[in-house]
Amino acid sequence: MSTQEHGGVVCAARHALAWLVVGNSVGLLLSTLLLEPSWQPGEFTYGHWVPVHLNSQLYGWTALPLVAWLLSMYEVDLSRFRRWGAAVIAAWSAALAASCLFWLRGDTSGKIFLDWRNGSLWAFLTALIVLWILLCASFRDRAQSWRKIRRRLSLIGLIVLAAVPGVMVVAASPKTYPPIDPTTGGPTGSSLLGSTLSVIGLMLLLPRVTGLAGRGKAGLATWIFFVVSWLVFAVTESIGGGHFDFWQIGAMLMLLPWAWLIPRDWKGYAWPQKVRIWRNGMLFWWGMLVLTGVSMYAPGVLDCLKFTQGLVGHSHLAMAGFTTSFCAVLITLLTNRAVGGTRSIYAWHLAVAIMILALVAMGWREGQSPEWMIVHATWRQLGFVVRASCGLVMLAASVDWLIRFTKS
Amino acid sequence: MRGLAWRASCLVAAVYGYFLIFAQFAWVELIRSAGGQEKPMLGAMAVAGMAAGFWIAWKGVTAGKIRIGLALAALASALAPLADGMMSMLTVSILTGIGVGMSTVGLATLLPSWCGLFWVGLGTGVGYACCNLPIVFQQSSAHQAWIGSVFAVVGLLVFPGNQNTHHEEPPRREIPFVSVLVLFTALVWLDSAAFFIIQHAVDLKSGTWGSGLLWRNAALHLAAAIASGVWLKSCRRTFVPASAWGLLAVAALAVNHETSRSVAGWLYPVGVSLYSVALVAWPGWFSGARAQHSIGWRAAWLFAIAGWFGSANGIGMAETLQRVPVTFILISGVCVLGVLVSSNRLSWRVLTAAAIVWVVAFLGEKKADVPETDSVALGKQVYLAEGCIHCHSQYVRPGSLDELNWGPVRTDSLKGKPVVIGNRRQGPDLTDVGARRSATWLKLHFINPQAFSPGSPMPSYAYLFKDRRGDDLVHYLQANGLDGMTDVFQKAMTWQPESSQSAGRGAELFQNHCAVCHGASGKGDGEMSGLLTKAPANLVDGPFVWSSAGTGRIRQIIKFGIPGTDMPGHETLKDEQIVALEEFVSCLRKLASETGRE
Repeated sequence: MSTQEHGGVVCAARHALAWLVVGNSVGLLLSTLLLEPSWQPGEFTYGHWVPVHLNSQLYGWTALPLVAWLLSMYEVDLSRFRRWGAAVIAAWSAALAASCLFWLRGDTSGKIFLDWRNGSLWAFLTALIVLWILLCASFRDRAQSWRKIRRRLSLIGLIVLAAVPGVMVVAASPKTYPPIDPTTGGPTGSSLLGSTLSVIGLMLLLPRVTGLAGRGKAGLATWIFFVVSWLVFAVTESIGGGHFDFWQIGAMLMLLPWAWLIPRDWKGYAWPQKVRIWRNGMLFWWGMLVLTGVSMYAPGVLDCLKFTQGLVGHSHLAMAGFTTSFCAVLITLLTNRAVGGTRSIYAWHLAVAIMILALVAMGWREGQSPEWMIVHATWRQLGFVVRASCGLVMLAASVDWLIRFTKS
Repeated sequence: MRGLAWRASCLVAAVYGYFLIFAQFAWVELIRSAGGQEKPMLGAMAVAGMAAGFWIAWKGVTAGKIRIGLALAALASALAPLADGMMSMLTVSILTGIGVGMSTVGLATLLPSWCGLFWVGLGTGVGYACCNLPIVFQQSSAHQAWIGSVFAVVGLLVFPGNQNTHHEEPPRREIPFVSVLVLFTALVWLDSAAFFIIQHAVDLKSGTWGSGLLWRNAALHLAAAIASGVWLKSCRRTFVPASAWGLLAVAALAVNHETSRSVAGWLYPVGVSLYSVALVAWPGWFSGARAQHSIGWRAAWLFAIAGWFGSANGIGMAETLQRVPVTFILISGVCVLGVLVSSNRLSWRVLTAAAIVWVVAFLGEKKADVPETDSVALGKQVYLAEGCIHCHSQYVRPGSLDELNWGPVRTDSLKGKPVVIGNRRQGPDLTDVGARRSATWLKLHFINPQAFSPGSPMPSYAYLFKDRRGDDLVHYLQANGLDGMTDVFQKAMTWQPESSQSAGRGAELFQNHCAVCHGASGKGDGEMSGLLTKAPANLVDGPFVWSSAGTGRIRQIIKFGIPGTDMPGHETLKDEQIVALEEFVSCLRKLASETGRE
């Protein structure tokens, strides 16, 4: 594991934290714009800022730690090409920064989380290709010293990664759209299962690949269940249907055991002291995410919460709660540097929890009677004040993390 | 020693204050108002300033020479309002140039022996903040000239008497001085050009230096300058000018467009203050010079090239082109990045990778390939660009309340390219909005949403109607509802509430939802009545005068409006609220006659 000061891994972590600050700043701006619409800065209205917020969080804060993980796995910082690690991260951030300008100007594909179009798409593809080339170069330089199995798996990884730019083009194209639940217009149970299984795969991989001492408690039964879950995904995805259908509900129910299986597996490893606070937080949010995700898919509940603040709250649970904790665990393991101090970490989690509760409460009322947001302006504004206040705390916490990480 | 630092900081504030309020601002206005020729006068000031700067560097900077410079500056600005002839104006210009040249070069040379970088930041921030205070900024030019004199006199009074023995250790690796000249020339050039554009367009000036914004500007200047001092102290010497360029570049782009000028108002003060601190601090702290003599020479060159030459060219460029060209912004960006590379803080690999991505991004940019004649398709582009999707869905969920409120259910929701289902409703679903709202209503609502929906979180989109975008968007939304028109008509003719219970407070509901068109008393004379295609109904003498509550038609109209007219529905109101409104509307004639009798 490399922790070189100017290596790609540390650089990626630093950029990720910087993007978290950017994303949180824009999130706070969005909260205040909901409170007071007259504060819109010129033509850069609420709708222009949303892609900047969402994509800073996804492609900056969430994706860059994963890029750091790739750089670490392919030992870029130990290879002859180590000086290119920071350059690749700069390319990634430059692509995202240029894209933010495009999105602010309104140049977007119109697909949430896949706003890449024209200049932004080309910039991002370039960053992906540059990253892939570096991984290939590092593989060529370092693979001879690896065991055969690692060499082969890494080669397969490179082949899979080669498809990513093409997949992005197809996914971001206005001509494609994933299957939807016809009763809600949202994702199907099977697609939620599929995307969550990818995350489960990463969680199973993390302690094993980062070289933690100990042995995971995922036995053969867990791995079989993992494979079966993917099979269920494949079957239910082909069947389709809505949240009233047996197969789609069944697909979602397949997630429930993972709320327990992941913590059980991770218990077998000796986690460094500085990562434990984030690991515990992550496992808490993971459990909440699975339980609330399955509950909210239930007939009647989803019908009430769909299109409301309630689902916005659940998205924050996923991103601000679970994903943030996961990224912090990952960064700490890769760089051997702590992300944040105890106070700012607790402040973050508390703010996230309060924000989620406020949003879900608002969403529940809104779902029961659509006029609630309009007629009960005082309650709505109070909810938005809570949301903005929590956003301010989260922004302050993320600034603290960035400063501490940069100085450490 | 802290007293010495305070004095030095006050001196920085005084010199900056004098330069900003008089040399850069009031004197130019006085020349203009006296009918003088602006260019020769400013040219003379620049030549005198450069000459004085080089002279003090050559002869050696001393406290006495700086005091003389400040005294000349005070004299020049005191006489300035009296100058009405060519010679007198030339004299004031030359005196001002000499005063500014001597005091700035001298100050930059001696500052490291007086105080630390934080104090330089504080002084710069206070200088800028003072000039932005309404009581200073809104004075007449003559008064501002005298305020300039006050600044210079304050500078003389607070002048630090002795020198500090403590020196902040300069960084080990210096940026080549030629690169520094390029860096600050690019920054000053960009700043001056943006400043000129803002100053010479009335609407831009009010949008960035309007009376209500001066306090904000003062606070921004102060905060940014202090931050700059702190960052420079922590050796982030490349970060400060680089971020200043980023902010000024966006501000310069923003001032070119009327609708985004408010953005410039936020970014410009921050960018200017950031680099202004660095400009003063560079010769003494970051140029690599240790001896005062060397610092003086570097300050003289820096202020001559970047300060006088850069600002003159920035103003000249903006005056000729009446805008800040994007090409120039890019060139200045290349200069700034070039310096970062030369400072070895940023590797050429990083720069190359980032530059390639940016070049690809801008080469990949293209306009939407939608025919100019296809207003509906263009409207959809506007819908996407404005991010309407983040607050409005276009999906009617079968079997849900959506069908009644926003229906009918559409089978073609997944056929759009892109699909615009959305995932959040801050506002209503827009699937069949064209069947529920007229084009006129949509336009008026876009311009002033709160007039129709008090407390609505929707921003005003009035700017869309300054060109064709607004009308295209309305055409798109109208076209969206054509298929649903029959269904909405049917609902509007047959719907009945589940119960006839009234929620009460009909008058309040009427004021919130109806008065904007029908008027507070229902006579059809509301705020928007004159803007609608057809005048709204007079509900006191009009169509429902003989209809009593509970007969059905009034509540149907309240709920669904009258499709095809400007009368909108109120789909989100609860049944008992509709009934309450119906009761109130039915009583309007009676209420009016009772009011009349009283």
